[in-house]
Amino acid sequence: MSRRKLLKGAASVGAMAAASGAIPMAVLADAHSNLRAELLSIPGVGQGSPTDADWQKVGELTLGPTKERVQEGEFDGIELTFMGLNNQNLHNFLFRGFLKPWEAYTGAKINWIDLAQADYNPRLQQAIATGTVDFDIIEMGAPFEGDTAGKGLLDEMPEWVKEQIEADDLVDYLKEPVGTWDGKTYRITIDGDCHTFAYRTDYFGDGGIGGAEVPRTWQQINQVTKDLVGKEDPLTGLPAHGYLDPLKGWGGFGMYFILNRAAAYAKHPDDPAWLFDPDTMKPRVNNPGFVQAIQDVLDLIEADAYPTDQINADPGTTAFQQFLAGTGSMLMWWGDVGSSARTSDTSVVGDVVGFGINPASERRYNAAAGAWEEEMNEAPQMAYIGWGVYVTNRVSGDEKKRKAAWSAAAHLGGKDLSLWTSAYPSGFQPYRNSHFQFQEWEAAGYDRAYVEDYLGSNADSYNHPNAAIEPRIPGIFQYYSVAEDELAKGFAGQYGSAQETADAIAAAWEEITDQIGRDSQIALYKASLGL
Amino acid sequence: MSEGEYLHVVTRDDISDGRRQFGRLIVWVTAALTILVAILQVLDHRGAIDLGFESWRPTLYAYCTWIVAFCWAQVLVHGEQGKRRLFVVPAAIFVVSMVIFPLIFALGIAFSDWNLSSPDGRQFNGLDNVRQMWGDPFYWNAMTNMVWYCLAIIVEYAIAFGLALMLNSQIRGRKFFRVAFLLPLMLSPVAVSWMIGKSMLEIRFGPVSRLLRNLGWDSPSFFGSAELARFWIMAMDAWTFIPFMMIMILAGLQAIPRELREAAEVDGASPWRRFWEITFPLMLPVSITAILIRIIFKLKLADIIINVTSGGPGGATDSVTSFIFREYRDRSNVGYGTLLAIVYLVVIVIAMTIVMKLADRWMRPRY
Repeated sequence: MSRRKLLKGAASVGAMAAASGAIPMAVLADAHSNLRAELLSIPGVGQGSPTDADWQKVGELTLGPTKERVQEGEFDGIELTFMGLNNQNLHNFLFRGFLKPWEAYTGAKINWIDLAQADYNPRLQQAIATGTVDFDIIEMGAPFEGDTAGKGLLDEMPEWVKEQIEADDLVDYLKEPVGTWDGKTYRITIDGDCHTFAYRTDYFGDGGIGGAEVPRTWQQINQVTKDLVGKEDPLTGLPAHGYLDPLKGWGGFGMYFILNRAAAYAKHPDDPAWLFDPDTMKPRVNNPGFVQAIQDVLDLIEADAYPTDQINADPGTTAFQQFLAGTGSMLMWWGDVGSSARTSDTSVVGDVVGFGINPASERRYNAAAGAWEEEMNEAPQMAYIGWGVYVTNRVSGDEKKRKAAWSAAAHLGGKDLSLWTSAYPSGFQPYRNSHFQFQEWEAAGYDRAYVEDYLGSNADSYNHPNAAIEPRIPGIFQYYSVAEDELAKGFAGQYGSAQETADAIAAAWEEITDQIGRDSQIALYKASLGL
Repeated sequence: MSEGEYLHVVTRDDISDGRRQFGRLIVWVTAALTILVAILQVLDHRGAIDLGFESWRPTLYAYCTWIVAFCWAQVLVHGEQGKRRLFVVPAAIFVVSMVIFPLIFALGIAFSDWNLSSPDGRQFNGLDNVRQMWGDPFYWNAMTNMVWYCLAIIVEYAIAFGLALMLNSQIRGRKFFRVAFLLPLMLSPVAVSWMIGKSMLEIRFGPVSRLLRNLGWDSPSFFGSAELARFWIMAMDAWTFIPFMMIMILAGLQAIPRELREAAEVDGASPWRRFWEITFPLMLPVSITAILIRIIFKLKLADIIINVTSGGPGGATDSVTSFIFREYRDRSNVGYGTLLAIVYLVVIVIAMTIVMKLADRWMRPRY
């Protein structure tokens, strides 16, 4: 049954029920669940990677909320420019497909600015700095809200959009203040980022070359990684490897990987701050906790534990060309590794992959006390706080264009569409409470144990009391870019030690803070931590 | 009938002092006006005064007025000769607008602290960028790399010469080899970096790695260490541009009169002696030209590095150009990046001047 027929049927049932005074809710709910089931069967788990035709089909099926608010052809003649990512053939590629039916229905036309992930930050920063914002809609992460909303470059979200996207369904950590600035809402969330732990189940268990137990601490991970040197991968027959650290810079995004280790060492449960001292903005990146994280990597490089050339592998390679293709046994990554493992053509590990939260550390550094504590410490990292769709102030003076821009953004942020992006390779991970209905995933073809494991790792991370929340402060990617540049030098042996590497980062961070303005940064950092 | 009877030609002698002075006056007045408007705009832009300028159009209009006045004044002051001078005006406007103004603007940026992420925008910071450059070991590492990358041209030249000699001799399939050897030159360095660096030498799936593994080398590495990575960068760049040198040398070889070699052959000179005493000296002008052009290409080497290693590991393979690119793109340091670019331009100009003078001396006939 097509979506049109389905809606027609549901509408007639509703009309009959309204006329008769009966209660049609069960029927309507059933129609809705049929829609979600129909969505999840495109193309179906095990049917290979989705194609452009699939994305368009999903876009067509989820047009209902748009049709309730926009007349057919209402935006004839309107052109909008959309800036977003095109990495790994995801993001903008999907958006194009999702929005094609929207364009056909509304009459609007969208022009696309596609950016590779490494080019994204410089392009956006340049647009902001030079006042040449040449896009009406932008796919952007919450960390940039300080740079954009803080400078008045965004358009405030209309009330009808909040209703259309059912914002209440978002998981708690993505609700306010995320997406807001000075009390105004700007963001349609389309992703819920955090890094989760993915591991190969065939490496562990009785007789597994990695040991009987899956490592749960960074100390164990490091040891297993070293012990695996010289062994053979059970799936591919190639050299076995333990944990995979992306070691090359990635336009700022590469910083999240060292932060996974550092969070376990240095994010103290009593202190929401961990990157900076909230009262002085003095960097903590060179305290003993962070230095230990860097030292871990240096030790693994020294032990030849990484795949050859890891130091020069592009970061996307680590997850998609290495882990999913069978190289390496442990990885911290965003949630799309979980959906891609089962539904992407490039994956060979779908049947032998398990998930967990960011591993713990057997000891933690207390920055306030300036001392190590011999306590187990878990701290999942909310890396990037998810992608969102924002509308810029270029459309603010033109009501029709503004409505068109928000309608397009709302279509991408729709509840039903998001279920599909969570379940299939998209670059996005689950971020709504409604995404955690296991039976929907099961109906799509996932098995229950896998879904519970995968979705559980996301939910446990989102809800963890010691989650390391990313600050939404201006210039945050400037801090990250400098840091990963210095880290790359440190990993290549161009600094004398982990401490020296960390000190170089801290010195660069101090400069950036002075440049941006220490007092304002302190205020915004505190605000972002809820202090 | 003379020309003057048809046309009213104003010569210098016809121009009165008053007309001349009026011509000079309008040039200076409009120039002063342009400078004044520019200064006011700068002050307004920096918030020192508030004249309500929203864009730089007033300065542009004043500049255009000066150009018109300048053209008019040429005729007023110099008469017919001034009209001829006007032919130079479009080129002068172009040079001022596209070369001199951007250079002055770049100099302004080079001595400022301008990071795109900074909400404060551009701030003059004196010699801070120079000091930073002086103490930046990774910049000097990139400079050192440039020296090595340029020295590799000697090897490229030797290979190119050998190939040219081969293709200049009567070998079977000469036409095929000429086309085949030229193919790499037709590819962009970006394509080469993907074809070789990212595909052939890919560690997991690349055919070279597979072959090496089959030969018993467990962990082949091509970009894992600084030395290896530099070597492969040089090799890829050489593979792309050796055909360029080869084709220049081949053209030179074909221009050498056959009689010279035949005469030497009749005199009983060995092939080696014929090469060193006839072919090579005669090829010096072409060789030096090819090497100079190659140096200019090499000084711009960036695309292969950016694509394959991003300057890694840890900046070990950076050329100055790729270093500047990363400073701009990855770190958004427009001020520092611009200073480095200007310094590099100055270094190149000085170095190339010296090299060309030396080349000129070598090529001068010694008789």
